[in-house]
Amino acid sequence: MTVSGQMARRGALALVPRSNEETEQPIWFCGHCGERPALSGAPALDARVCQSCGLGLLLETGANAAPKPGGAFLVLDRSLSVCAVSSGAETLLATAETEAVNHHVTELLVPAESEGGRHLASAVTWAARGEEEFRDVFVRPANLFGVRIRARIARCGPPQAALLVFEDPQR
Amino acid sequence: MRYLKTSEAATLLNVSPNTLRAWERRFGFPKPQRSPGRHRLFTHGEVASLRDALQEGLSISSAVSRAREGLATDTNSLTGALVSYESERADGAMESALALRSLERSVEEVLLPSLEEIVRRQSVDSAAWAFAAHWAADWLGRARRLAPSPVRPISIVLGDASRDELDPDAAWIRALELFCVRAGANVLSLSVRGVAGIGDAVAVHHPNLVVIAGGHAADDAVARWAYAVRLAAGALPVAVYRRGPQRVRMRTTGTSVLPGRASEAQLRLLELAETDQRGRATRVGMESPQRIQSDRRSASM
Repeated sequence: MTVSGQMARRGALALVPRSNEETEQPIWFCGHCGERPALSGAPALDARVCQSCGLGLLLETGANAAPKPGGAFLVLDRSLSVCAVSSGAETLLATAETEAVNHHVTELLVPAESEGGRHLASAVTWAARGEEEFRDVFVRPANLFGVRIRARIARCGPPQAALLVFEDPQR
Repeated sequence: MRYLKTSEAATLLNVSPNTLRAWERRFGFPKPQRSPGRHRLFTHGEVASLRDALQEGLSISSAVSRAREGLATDTNSLTGALVSYESERADGAMESALALRSLERSVEEVLLPSLEEIVRRQSVDSAAWAFAAHWAADWLGRARRLAPSPVRPISIVLGDASRDELDPDAAWIRALELFCVRAGANVLSLSVRGVAGIGDAVAVHHPNLVVIAGGHAADDAVARWAYAVRLAAGALPVAVYRRGPQRVRMRTTGTSVLPGRASEAQLRLLELAETDQRGRATRVGMESPQRIQSDRRSASM
């Protein structure tokens, strides 16, 4: 009997959901304003400057993690250095991208959970290595106490990096 | 040195000219110079360096940072050559810098920062500083000899109040002289210690501006020199450059304190000279009808 025949006989069983890798469509977005380019498909490597704001480079990530236009997010490399700060994150963290770039992420953000330090670092490192799975963490601005913000960490690029998207408080 | 207009630089970076201007405002990079018609002129090296960094970057900020780092390697290699007492390698580092920048920016962004770094690391009493200061004086002197002849009707007498070429201010003063000469002014540089016979120098040079530069000579010595120049040339605008922070804070009457950066000081000097020339032209224009009337009166008497 074929596999499909066996499945038909076992109607109560469902197929195991496919992995993120199979289901997620890559989404391109601007690393500064979060807008998505009008043209579909991957832009040429030398044409990645956002045509909407002109202040960010187009990056790709999975649909589950892609930030909304105007959203707050950071792009980090595997050494946990800040590579990009969106305009929304500039407001949220009261910083400027030009000041934050090349600084360690903990100068901007710290984990808001007791065991979160290791979790945040490993999530960023795994994502920056190209891990497909996303992870959710709780963080707070480094200079602000009593705040918890959920953030999703996923891979993005090129080049390979980690995308940390702050959850929209409106959601 | 190859320069690009805004549209050419924008094409090379695959962005619009407006985006390029927005980057200049936000990141200060690429940093254009201005043509005589005040149009932006970008150095090809900076734009190419940014283009390469953008292809490997995650943001404009990080690409700008990487492009800047690439340009900063010239400063590191010049510093390295100077502390190793290798004048040919130091010349080579400046050649590399000149491939990416104008001479003025090469001096301000590579040569002078390298000297400051050596002073900071080795102190002004070190042999490394003696070598670096001598090399810098020689390099700036060579650049000055290669500068075109004066084209502006601006003549500056510079009273050098630095100690000698080991004085850290000396390179800054030579840089200011070089920039003024390259801007088309005629510059006569004299030590403030040489007062005797200053009238002859002034008579030959006909200055319309006096600059007192350097912080080593005492105020008395500087005042004697300035008085001798004034006796010979009459009242002239006086500007002060790198006389030290305590003197910059002092209230001065009719004396302009120039900015610390040599390029900014040079621009301010040209403004001062041009303002003075316009003022003189206006005064002559206002005086001339009276003179004509008095001449007529004396003729009729």
